[in-house]
Amino acid sequence: MNFTITRQNLQKGLAAVSATIPGKTTLPVLSNILFEADADGIRMSATDLDVGVRIRVPADVKEAGSLTAPGKKIQEIARELPDQPVQLNSRGDQVEIRCGKSHFKLNGLPADDFPELPQVGFEGGWTAEGRDLLSLIRHTSFAVSTEESRPVLNGVLWELRDGEMRMVATNGHRLARMRIPAGPSMQTTTQLIVPPDALQQVQRLFAEDAEVSVARDGNQLGFSSGGTEVYTRLIEGTYPNYEQVIPKDNDKHAFVNRKALESAVKRVAAVASDQTHRIRMEFSQDRMVFNVLTPDLGEAHDEIEVGYDGDPISIGFNANYLLEVLRYVGTDEVKMSFKAPERAATVEPMGGEDDQVPDYLCLVMPLRLAD
Amino acid sequence: MSTPGSSSLPTPEDRPRRILLLDCDAFFVQVARRMDPEGAGRARLLIVGGSSSGRGVVTSASYEARPYGVRSGMPTARALRLCPDATVVPVPRSACTERSRAIRRRLRTLAPVVQAASIDEFYLDLTGTERLFRGESLQASAERIRKDLLEHTGISVSVGGATARMVAKLAAGRAKPAGVHIVPPGGEGAFMEGFELGQIPGVGPKLAESLARRGLRTVPDLLPVSEAWLVRWFGETRGRWLWERARGIDPTPVVDGEERKSISSERTFREDVVDDPALERHLVQLALSVGRQLRKKGLRARTVTLKLRDHDFRTRQASRTVEGAVESDRAIREVATELLSELRARRRVPARLLGVGVSGLREGDAPRQLSLLEETEAAPPPETERDRKLSHLGDALRDRFGDEALRPGRVLEDDPEDRED
Repeated sequence: MNFTITRQNLQKGLAAVSATIPGKTTLPVLSNILFEADADGIRMSATDLDVGVRIRVPADVKEAGSLTAPGKKIQEIARELPDQPVQLNSRGDQVEIRCGKSHFKLNGLPADDFPELPQVGFEGGWTAEGRDLLSLIRHTSFAVSTEESRPVLNGVLWELRDGEMRMVATNGHRLARMRIPAGPSMQTTTQLIVPPDALQQVQRLFAEDAEVSVARDGNQLGFSSGGTEVYTRLIEGTYPNYEQVIPKDNDKHAFVNRKALESAVKRVAAVASDQTHRIRMEFSQDRMVFNVLTPDLGEAHDEIEVGYDGDPISIGFNANYLLEVLRYVGTDEVKMSFKAPERAATVEPMGGEDDQVPDYLCLVMPLRLAD
Repeated sequence: MSTPGSSSLPTPEDRPRRILLLDCDAFFVQVARRMDPEGAGRARLLIVGGSSSGRGVVTSASYEARPYGVRSGMPTARALRLCPDATVVPVPRSACTERSRAIRRRLRTLAPVVQAASIDEFYLDLTGTERLFRGESLQASAERIRKDLLEHTGISVSVGGATARMVAKLAAGRAKPAGVHIVPPGGEGAFMEGFELGQIPGVGPKLAESLARRGLRTVPDLLPVSEAWLVRWFGETRGRWLWERARGIDPTPVVDGEERKSISSERTFREDVVDDPALERHLVQLALSVGRQLRKKGLRARTVTLKLRDHDFRTRQASRTVEGAVESDRAIREVATELLSELRARRRVPARLLGVGVSGLREGDAPRQLSLLEETEAAPPPETERDRKLSHLGDALRDRFGDEALRPGRVLEDDPEDRED
């Protein structure tokens, strides 16, 4: 293998793949990046066995071939190279890097040792606008569970059906759901549970205006656009019936300025318990009152004006769950809906008449005093 | 211990400590009476725990009901046969926790070091406050604090005072109800002579029996036995411990702050344990002991940890954090058993020590985060209300009849030579 590449292209490739290199691994070859040179340029790949990233970058290839080289080391070197063409040349299992007067030899491992990235045929898949995909990911993936007890909740549910793309994530205490109309090309009906790490790579590597091809093969999912590919293992299992838990009869609605609510919650949460982050909110005619009482710490009281004309209701929440949801709702005004103190509350974005308001819903379960 | 006169200025170590133990008098009864002044508050004969139909067990009985033979841990039905005129009320759990916190808050204004040992017991260390309180005697301090608490929290306590924690605790027993008993510095040994060995906190029924087999029943029985013999019989740690306690020596400090970070129980086997079922039997008992300590403090735990030391002294640990927080024996045992089989699957060699621990502790009455999803077959909740009730019932029975009263079926007769720490 022997090729010459601009420093920018080398760095672009390294930046794309290196985030997938696992920090700690028992399989040494996973610390390496796979370089494959052919007539069209080079391909660089990295994987942690769950998620894999591959990118094609232009290069002047003198001799085709492949080799793996330590990812972190190459990245450290490339970062400080002068702005001149970089030549990479394999000698046995070593890779030689030359750039101006700089010269390096790094020990690599044979390309055959590198795990093969899944083969996913994109012809049988579908396409999605980068803009839509990124928006879905940004609005939902924060809500996945990080506990091991229910693996399906560690992923984001991605559904294609009824001419819509939906993403849903929950940890059982709060849930985020977003729906976006799919383009006419979308004929597929499917349900996938995608690890958030893979979605994070998608978010990082694809642009808003990209046309992203997506395809599934068995329990592997692939994303591809403009020479960049992301592959991931799908989480197996049945996602809980989330539609069932989204309340349809919440009849008390509060219209609240998001910033005012956010800063009031942050203020009173300062004296909430470190363990439960419990704050109490009371709604009455156009008023929202916050109360926090934490034994051994202190108490807080606050009030903001809201639009509310339902029956008074008092409800306890984990302040962190509320703040998280408010961060993603986006609009200046939000609508909070309730039924009863121990039933799910929903938070939705609100806009003016001309505003494009996303079809987005967050659900937060209250905190209850144990009996 | 330092020798007197070894230096001219008294260092803090030379100064006798001034430790008080405040033990609430029939705490649950007092709280129940305050909550319902018209009902429970008027009942002289009051039983807290269980229901008037006779289900459940007695958690606490008023001093007036005790002469009838009513004791905590007794089935309420039996208590009602002994004392048919008694009023029965359920345990006001969250009110008790709230009151306990109020006592702790008040104590913090009265003493520099406050340690909540359980929901109704508080250690204070007043060492170094002699000048602050203008040379007030420990007796006077104890009486002042007793009165202050009654005034500010409405709860009556008995106070024991001494230079050592264990002695203060025994003294509080002598002070009950509503009294003060101070053991003066230097008087610890003489005070201890009035006790049976089984009354020393930390001497369980098993150890007491083991001592009795050697003819040692009371503290005076033990005093002539040399430390070397005790060490030979009961091991380095426990032998020395016994020798000290019998003389009223207990260097355990009073540690400020009630928030314990973790609770654990471990066991070193006399002979390495080879097979998994035997390890699991030990695990059942360790989980029970941890669960009991956890519940005694009114706490729940989020994380269960298993510790395994193999015959070659390699120590391995595994932990799991559960959904919600647990307090029942079943939940702790099940998580610990899974962790054990994971560790054993990785390396199955003879084991010399097994330990079970819990951490991520929180108050048992902390607000509970409600869950969205149905608790499905695939992910049942780590524990149910029934598990919690069963565990509390087990505690009540063991408090009353001793640890041997109720044992899990699969636990074989223990080897008394194993050390439990």
